[in-house]
Amino acid sequence: MDFFVQLFTDPVAFWNSHTLLIAQIGINSIVASSMFIVLYSGQLSLAAPGFMAIGAYTSVLMDLYWHTPLALNIATGVLLAGVMGVLVGLPVLRLRGVFLAIATIGFIEALRLGVILNLPITGEGLGLKTIDSDPLNGIYLVLVCLAVVLFLVWRLTKGRLGAAWAAIRQDELAALSQGIHVARYKMIAFVLSAILAGFAGALEAHLQTFVDPGDQQYGVTRAVQVLSFAVLGGSGNFVGPVVGALVVTSLPWIFVQALNYINIVTGLFLIAVIVFRPQGIVGRGGLAIIRPWWWPRRNVRASSPG
Amino acid sequence: MYVLLRLDNVQRHFGGVHAVDGVSLEVEQGSIHGLIGPNGAGKTTLVNVITGYVPFQSGHAWLQSDELTGLPAHRIAALGISRTFQNIRLFKELTALENVIVGMHTRRRDDTLAQLATLPMFRRDQRSRMDDARALMEAVGLAAGEIADRAAGTLPYGDQRRLEIARALALRPRLLILDEPAAGMNPSEKQGIRELIEHLNEGGLTILLIDHDMRLVMSVCKRVAVLDFGRKIAEGTPAEVSTDASVIKAYLGTGGEKVVRSAPGATAGGDIEAVEQSTARPAAEPREAILDIENLTVSYGAVTAVRGASLRVAAGEVVALIGANGAGKSTILNTLSGLIRPDSGTAVFDRLDLTRAKPSTIVRHGLVQVPEGREILARQTVLENLELATWGRRDGGAKRMQIDAVMKRFPILGERRALRAGTLSGGEQQMLAIARGLLARPRLLLLDEPSLGLAPQMVDEVFRTIQEIHDEGTTILLVEQNALRALEIADRAYVLETGQIRLSGTGDDLLHNPAVRRAYLGG
Repeated sequence: MDFFVQLFTDPVAFWNSHTLLIAQIGINSIVASSMFIVLYSGQLSLAAPGFMAIGAYTSVLMDLYWHTPLALNIATGVLLAGVMGVLVGLPVLRLRGVFLAIATIGFIEALRLGVILNLPITGEGLGLKTIDSDPLNGIYLVLVCLAVVLFLVWRLTKGRLGAAWAAIRQDELAALSQGIHVARYKMIAFVLSAILAGFAGALEAHLQTFVDPGDQQYGVTRAVQVLSFAVLGGSGNFVGPVVGALVVTSLPWIFVQALNYINIVTGLFLIAVIVFRPQGIVGRGGLAIIRPWWWPRRNVRASSPG
Repeated sequence: MYVLLRLDNVQRHFGGVHAVDGVSLEVEQGSIHGLIGPNGAGKTTLVNVITGYVPFQSGHAWLQSDELTGLPAHRIAALGISRTFQNIRLFKELTALENVIVGMHTRRRDDTLAQLATLPMFRRDQRSRMDDARALMEAVGLAAGEIADRAAGTLPYGDQRRLEIARALALRPRLLILDEPAAGMNPSEKQGIRELIEHLNEGGLTILLIDHDMRLVMSVCKRVAVLDFGRKIAEGTPAEVSTDASVIKAYLGTGGEKVVRSAPGATAGGDIEAVEQSTARPAAEPREAILDIENLTVSYGAVTAVRGASLRVAAGEVVALIGANGAGKSTILNTLSGLIRPDSGTAVFDRLDLTRAKPSTIVRHGLVQVPEGREILARQTVLENLELATWGRRDGGAKRMQIDAVMKRFPILGERRALRAGTLSGGEQQMLAIARGLLARPRLLLLDEPSLGLAPQMVDEVFRTIQEIHDEGTTILLVEQNALRALEIADRAYVLETGQIRLSGTGDDLLHNPAVRRAYLGG
């Protein structure tokens, strides 16, 4: 419980001693927003780690070989992830639900095992050393980026685009009958989510001294972790997956003594949330658990994740 | 007055099934046009073709001068055809207000950039949209102030129907297609829907109305088209259509020419009341009933499907339960099989309380249902289907012999034992479903719509089989839309209308009772 004691008694020391954690929370929150966008439009896509890999490798390789500025590297990584999103989305978005999930897992594993581990330029299984990484100051960059991303995602869900996504999530056929071009809006969501994931990947590579092509990083394990953000936090509201990312990323630091059993702890936590609050920690109407007594109760049934 | 919607020889087949077979239709601007037909006639398929859910196979459609043929559904919606769905398809987790706002999609400026910058322009638009949406909800009779912020899925059933209409109106359609807007409603709610439809039409809106409730269709529509087996068999004013011989035949059954001529609809109009008075008396209910249903009420959530129905079946009888689609026939059967639990009332089969017993116990007790739509295992062979029906039994030798006996009983199944059940024709599949039911050794066999979707010759075949099974000593409770055929073979029959038993009597009595026609086609 040192974690919470320090957090509340000495925030400055906490900040200094948990830089890595905070940065990781920031990155994971951006990935969680990427997951939120696909889930909000009713698509169970697990492709985020694949697009993260594209963003990460693109920006690091540009840095290594051409020594281009960071902003340009990240921008190129993001752009490439977006283009890849279109290419992957074209065939894959014909699928729905669990089939889409399996196809996107196919994509990330084909990318990791087939391409990254086999191309000499990516360092194959050994990974890449990043020369310009900046673990200490990168944290501010990440937090600013997170704020911008969250603001944009929040605004996106409020307008015509967000309304169309929500309609598609609930009932594609009925959405069609309202004149919504379902295929186009699903593609927009998929590509936006690819762009956000690519962005998170590029930032993450900038924070770490080493790009690791492991399963934890860009494989199914990561995909499942990202999905757990949404399941835990709830996917009816853009805050949900971010809260999920916060919790899931912090758990190993909170239960530092039980680090060997952290997967069991996380699993139990997840099951508890699914049983007692299936809509996630944050429901569609917001954080109903901590609703102050004077805040009006919204009579909505929160959406289930996925 | 000009023609708003024009269909020219529209066709749509699914495999060998002609769901829509060369339908031509003209809907005038400003009219309420009815589209009716028995279950499986192709009404919903036709709507799906018009709205682009199901592609055309051949034929053309125009909305005024805009050709609809080959357009995807969202483009057709944008052209101004808006619809509601038979089984309400609201965005359940969105609020009522959000549902209506989604409906404004096509006439809403793309405000993505404005909202990103949270420009005041966006706020102003959003406010006017919300006012619009509230006005639309009020226009269809919803209390916007109370329900606007409630999730659509939590609204009462009638409000959901109205909300779906409000969402459809948000599109500002030129043509509104209502697919069974009054389904599952009680008479006063139906009256409300009827007033709403008339009110919308007075505002100049053209409406294509599909409903099974003939009273509703006949009272609001200026013209009515009748579909049967994918073809348009009649069109005209409600009065013309409801006395048209082919329409009566389509609804009440294909009982052969003789029966049709003496059918209730053919009776002259003036003496209907008299005839009804004289024959609409309850037939003598049997004393010793094997099945005894008292005051049964069943509902699905807010929708009451069966209201206080009582009926009895004695051993050795064939009893028919007839009524239009949505009258509650299948609900009664499913309640007897233990698949649905009633709200109140009793149902006893040979001392077994059906309202409590598990479905498996009920089957073992000898009450076996052959479900509507046959529900055979399409990818299993005929033989495998039959074997599965005896799966739970341990008397191996007797089992084999019984399967052999059933195959002899239905030679066509013996011939096709190795074929996948899905490749059989509809009639053969029905035989298989009945054979499967017989393998459970029923004392009371419940048959749910055995003639549904079958060609006339096959209907003959199926009814002959039912007659034979009865002659072999099985008691039968038969649910049918094809009333004339059912009444022909039934000892007694009950007529169900909107969940209530309206008439009962011997098969012959009801066969000539005009009130039966009214239960189907409205008065």
